[in-house]
Amino acid sequence: MPIDLRGLAIGLFLTLISAFSAHAAASCGDNTGKPATGEPIVIGAITGKTGPDDFSNSTKAAKAYFDCLNANGGINGRPVKYLVEDDQWNPEIAAQLAAKLVNDEKAVLMVGNSSFVECGANADFYKKAGILVLAGVGVPRECYFAENYAPANAGPRVSMLGAMGYALDKLNAKSVVCIGPNIPNVGTWSCDGVMLLAKEKGFAAQTILMDPGSADATSIILQAASSKPDVIVLGLPKGVTVPLLTAAEEQGLNQSITFLSAASAYDLSVPSTIGAGWAGKFYVNMEFNDLNAQTPDNQNWLAVMDQYGQKSDPRDTFAQAGYLAARIAEKALMTLDPAKINRETVSAAVRQIKDFKSDIFCAPWYFGDGQPRHNANSTTRMAVAEGGKWKVVSDCAPSPDPELKDIRAFEKSAGIN
Amino acid sequence: MNILPFIISGLGIGAVYALSGVGLVVLFRATGVLNFAFGAFGAIGAHCAWQLLEWKVPLAVAILAAVAVSTASSFAYGRIFAPMLSHRDTVVRAVGTLAPALILIGIMGVIWGELPRRLQLPTDQMFVSLFAVRLTFTRIIAIILAVAMVVAITLLLNRTRLGLDMRALANDRDLSAVLGVRILYTETAAWIITGIFSGFAGLLLADLVRLQGTFLTLLVIPAIAAAILGQLQSLWQTAAAGILIGIAEAALTPIAWISPYRAASPFIIALVAVTILGGTAKVALKDR
Repeated sequence: MPIDLRGLAIGLFLTLISAFSAHAAASCGDNTGKPATGEPIVIGAITGKTGPDDFSNSTKAAKAYFDCLNANGGINGRPVKYLVEDDQWNPEIAAQLAAKLVNDEKAVLMVGNSSFVECGANADFYKKAGILVLAGVGVPRECYFAENYAPANAGPRVSMLGAMGYALDKLNAKSVVCIGPNIPNVGTWSCDGVMLLAKEKGFAAQTILMDPGSADATSIILQAASSKPDVIVLGLPKGVTVPLLTAAEEQGLNQSITFLSAASAYDLSVPSTIGAGWAGKFYVNMEFNDLNAQTPDNQNWLAVMDQYGQKSDPRDTFAQAGYLAARIAEKALMTLDPAKINRETVSAAVRQIKDFKSDIFCAPWYFGDGQPRHNANSTTRMAVAEGGKWKVVSDCAPSPDPELKDIRAFEKSAGIN
Repeated sequence: MNILPFIISGLGIGAVYALSGVGLVVLFRATGVLNFAFGAFGAIGAHCAWQLLEWKVPLAVAILAAVAVSTASSFAYGRIFAPMLSHRDTVVRAVGTLAPALILIGIMGVIWGELPRRLQLPTDQMFVSLFAVRLTFTRIIAIILAVAMVVAITLLLNRTRLGLDMRALANDRDLSAVLGVRILYTETAAWIITGIFSGFAGLLLADLVRLQGTFLTLLVIPAIAAAILGQLQSLWQTAAAGILIGIAEAALTPIAWISPYRAASPFIIALVAVTILGGTAKVALKDR
């Protein structure tokens, strides 16, 4: 086959331009532009890649950031050796992988974890092993009730109650139905928060738990609408949320009830998928900043993904979470003498993180030294579907989850936020 | 507690379960294969329809293309691989259909990913209100289509040479061959018919439930429950069972303590049916 030299030259030129523009934006570590060459610092991660859903976007983004960091001097000259393992949504495998990373590979820290099962399986092990976890995405309750486990995201309950707070303050909701999955420590935990808030604030609330595998979304929606609520709050994966909204629209309920969701439905494809019938009628909570925000750190995240991630890596909230977890880890490690980096010194440094600032978060992130649990990300924004896109409609507001009382008390006593 | 809205709600999905169940029984009666890939054949067709609609192709063309793709997938397996397994146990032949199901799930995953999609038909916007529930024209079409397909297949089995051959095969495959029944031709025809059923069922399920490859593939299970209730023989019993399973699943919604687990109702109903009917397998597999 003859080679088209002109085409090849144009292609090379365009590639160089695109590469140059991406390179110019990504900022990592000391920005030395020189690769780190010292002894690697082993950092582990466990994610649920294969199984019912792919949660690995968080570790993909963390890896992109660590690659960027390693290309820019690493941690004071030492590169990060980032080992990611797939728990396959199986708690037994998650436990085996934690033992492998912590005991065999001698990881000093876990970063960017994102799994449905490993918090419950490994929280006690991490505590005994003296290793801390800067997780990207936590889902079930166990991720937020462990001494050594601190996620970057808010979690389904805090996110759902963030949406509920918006419904009470801005939509004048007086009655609500909470729909969650019948998954232990996920659906009940989240909807129990709405019920507790209802008791405190005196509004009517009802819970419906559904099997996410159920084919019949219409009946769930009819059941929810039967109590004539002002709003319906959803805490389900986006793949289940869209059929519920479709069923609601089919029944004309998008005209009479406002629907809200936890951050799980905050995906750029959702507004165009659900269609024009939901313009101004479907609100989501955002655990992080707008994915397209033009703010410096959000743009740096996108630049890091463009330059060091794969083109196919999703640019979603999970990736934002993984990027932030890696940045937090970098901040802790940079405070240490590179010759004295071990599990003890790293854990001590992470415990001291009090004011990690990023425009992707609403409020500074902190670890919470001495705290039995961690939920630093609990101040969130809201967006509404409009014109096939999300439109941010609120400033950052603290989630009114009554279960956060201990977290708020700690923040007050420690002078945080 | 007013249960009528839930009965109306369950009618639409029940009709598609019925359609799927009949499609399974037609194939089983002619070939002895319980087709676990039925849902996947339908799903790939539905995804193609969605893609064509995204490319602004007219709706009728998209629907025809969906049914054509599902039918072609079913035909390809039925003509190429199924004959190689035709002398194996019923279980082996059923398990063999898991291969195309898994391959098609993989193909759909690679091409379309797992992002939520919505397949909309114009009939979703048209409805009649019954007991405060909107029964959309899509659901009405599903019910009419299920009945029409059962009538058509009944006529085919009772009035045509192909139907006679199918019934002969159902009774005794080897004896039919000795008597001159064109085995391969008849079995291939059955795979094409089940492919047409899967195409329509896939389209309707993608509209009524959700357009997601794995999910639609697994919806073969309630259809198998309906087929078992029809003792893998009776088309009308299977159709009625499919509708009843859909209604039962919907009607359990307002019962709070059982509602989160109602998706299990097709399995429990099938289990009870197998226990009560007892001889189902023996009757269906007689002389095979």
